[in-house]
Amino acid sequence: MPVLLVVVLLAALVVLAAACGSSTSTSSSPSAAATTSSGVLPSPTAGSSITVVYHYPAPPKSVLDQFTAQTGVKVSWVEVGWDNLQTKIATAATSNTYFADLTDVDWSKVGQYYKTKWFMPLNPYFDAAALKADMPQIDTFASNGQQLALPFDSSFTVTTLNTKIAKAAGVTGTPANLTDYTNALKQIKAKGAVPNPLDIPFAAAEGLSTYWYQLTAAYGGQVLDASYAPQFTSPSSAGYKALQWMVDAYKSGLVPKANIGMADYQGFTSEMAPGRVASVFSDYSGSVGSIYDVPSSSKVTGQVQYIPTPGVSGPAPNLSNPDGVGIPVTAKNVAGALAFIKWFTDTQQQAIWAGLNGSSDVISGFPLPARVSSLQLLAQGNKVSGASELMTLLGSSRAEFPGPGAPPWYSQFSNAVYTNIHQAAAGAETVQQAVTNIATEVNQLKASQ
Amino acid sequence: MSGERTPTGRKRPRKRGRFLPYILLSPLVLFIGALALYPTILTTVQAFFTVNPMDPPTRFSGLANFRALFHNSFVRQSAANTALYIVVGVGLSTLFGLGIALVLQRRSRWRGVVLALVVLPWALPAVVESVIWGWIYDPTFGVLNSVLKSLGLINSDHVWIGIGRIVSIVLIELVQVWQITPLAALLILAALQSIPQELYEAARVDGAGRWEMFRRVTLPLVRPGLAVAMVESLILSLNVFDQVYVLNGFAPGGASIMMQTYQISFNNLNFGQGYALSLLATFATMLLSLLILAVVYRRVEF
Repeated sequence: MPVLLVVVLLAALVVLAAACGSSTSTSSSPSAAATTSSGVLPSPTAGSSITVVYHYPAPPKSVLDQFTAQTGVKVSWVEVGWDNLQTKIATAATSNTYFADLTDVDWSKVGQYYKTKWFMPLNPYFDAAALKADMPQIDTFASNGQQLALPFDSSFTVTTLNTKIAKAAGVTGTPANLTDYTNALKQIKAKGAVPNPLDIPFAAAEGLSTYWYQLTAAYGGQVLDASYAPQFTSPSSAGYKALQWMVDAYKSGLVPKANIGMADYQGFTSEMAPGRVASVFSDYSGSVGSIYDVPSSSKVTGQVQYIPTPGVSGPAPNLSNPDGVGIPVTAKNVAGALAFIKWFTDTQQQAIWAGLNGSSDVISGFPLPARVSSLQLLAQGNKVSGASELMTLLGSSRAEFPGPGAPPWYSQFSNAVYTNIHQAAAGAETVQQAVTNIATEVNQLKASQ
Repeated sequence: MSGERTPTGRKRPRKRGRFLPYILLSPLVLFIGALALYPTILTTVQAFFTVNPMDPPTRFSGLANFRALFHNSFVRQSAANTALYIVVGVGLSTLFGLGIALVLQRRSRWRGVVLALVVLPWALPAVVESVIWGWIYDPTFGVLNSVLKSLGLINSDHVWIGIGRIVSIVLIELVQVWQITPLAALLILAALQSIPQELYEAARVDGAGRWEMFRRVTLPLVRPGLAVAMVESLILSLNVFDQVYVLNGFAPGGASIMMQTYQISFNNLNFGQGYALSLLATFATMLLSLLILAVVYRRVEF
């Protein structure tokens, strides 16, 4: 009875097609909410619920229950790893399927989301200009005037130094510039305090790209200009010098050999935390409190400090790479999601996530609050390691791509960056070839837009 | 009136009963249709379209996706890498699988225990295995370096993965070989056990030694099992992803074709090219499988 088999099969396909089609209808537009005037949030429906998909563990239930008590909105929190979450966002958006009312917007994806229109602009509900003073990194989530997310944390790259190892090698004081910093690393190596004092994560991954951007900023430049033209091809450019410095550091043994396959977080936990290296030039704000000063996972508690990132002739800017929280256009409960963003990024709440009320209410792995006012609360209570230094650094942090924000093709760009830097460190390419390859990719990406 | 009568006078089963097998099969058909057939059709069709949220709308583009892939140096390199993964994966898993099957074929009271131990790597998730092997290969704390240093074969810590392309690929594929060899061994063991003992006795009477019996009796008659095991290893090696991702990240030196498909689809959001590359990988799998079957498979009847 092959005919029957074919009929059953066709029926299956029809059912599947219908299911796929119906998924598009679930993507309700936020029309009701969109009519709200600027800065005023629509009232969420009591008894409704929202799904939050994020790469942080859920806040404690008791704290989420407070939000439910205030708004009547129940929260279902789903934790998904960062990489998988980016894939999930892309697949759900491409198939126009609902998966969350609220999710992560990474700083590097803002240009892409502006172009793909996968996230709802929040301009009608939040006044970015008014929030700017308290949320210095809010601009990172805007593209062409559209505020696609609000910062959830205030991650930025910062230099960390193990002062105990440095002192053991006779390095006293904080290196004031890049020359001093390089000499300090060489001295630590020469004195044998640690055989390889510097952590650079040379695995072909995003952390390597970020490291290069920060070093380029330290050399006084940026990798792309406002029109996204490459600024690193000349040997005298900051980007070229930064790349050369990184490759030289690896080849001269300042960086452990194993780092060719090491990702950023891996380096923090398996090299810096056990005291095998003395410094991370492009570490993350919050690493001291969340990794190095945690006795259960660190052998260097109390030894690692944030230092002003050394530049050519003084402190360099620190580059922002925060995570934001935004609403996919397929969200079902926009009013509930907006209420949650407001609560989630509130001064008091941000300080609570970082430990204001003690460890029971924190979000595990939360780096630093997005708001200066939250940091002030923490500093007053002496609740975060290096809070006062971080407050200064946060104030002077700047976006990785100032002006237009991350390009829409940032993912491909970053892929070309980390691939070629990895190859240069592995000896498969010269520094000149690496910068040429990256620049060629940038020009092709620009031309294809 | 109930059913017709057969020439022997028995009633034929009711017509309704004739549908029962199809009704019972329908969940499986539904399952295969939804999870295999529909995606296959969709992939085949979409491979000829520009499907890219960064470049809307979705539109027919003929062979443009395929042309772009052939001009992409990373795709060409990952195809070459994958060829090496296949050679190492199929070669070693078949060789080790045959060896293990020959050992397991011998009757011994430890056979069950050995079989359970052999199957263990097959039962573990690839990511877990890759993490474990990552520790083995680790330049600073890895077992491999400490063993080699204690034997005096190396003086300092050696970086195994990420520096040399071929060494990286061979070592990454070894992890997969460790995982897929049990399956190959079981498939070959099943074929070995179907060979009648009389053939070995006849060979022995004719004066054949162990090697002669292996070459003239075992090897020709185990070919169907070998072919199936090789095709299975081919499919797994061609689709290698987890091991590469965990041990090598996105470094181009060891990137496989599946890594490239992932990058093109989910990093570059160029789903059209991702579909096209998946389709090419499927065709490559089919062609190589047919080649293995043509060369290795022989119909065996006892």
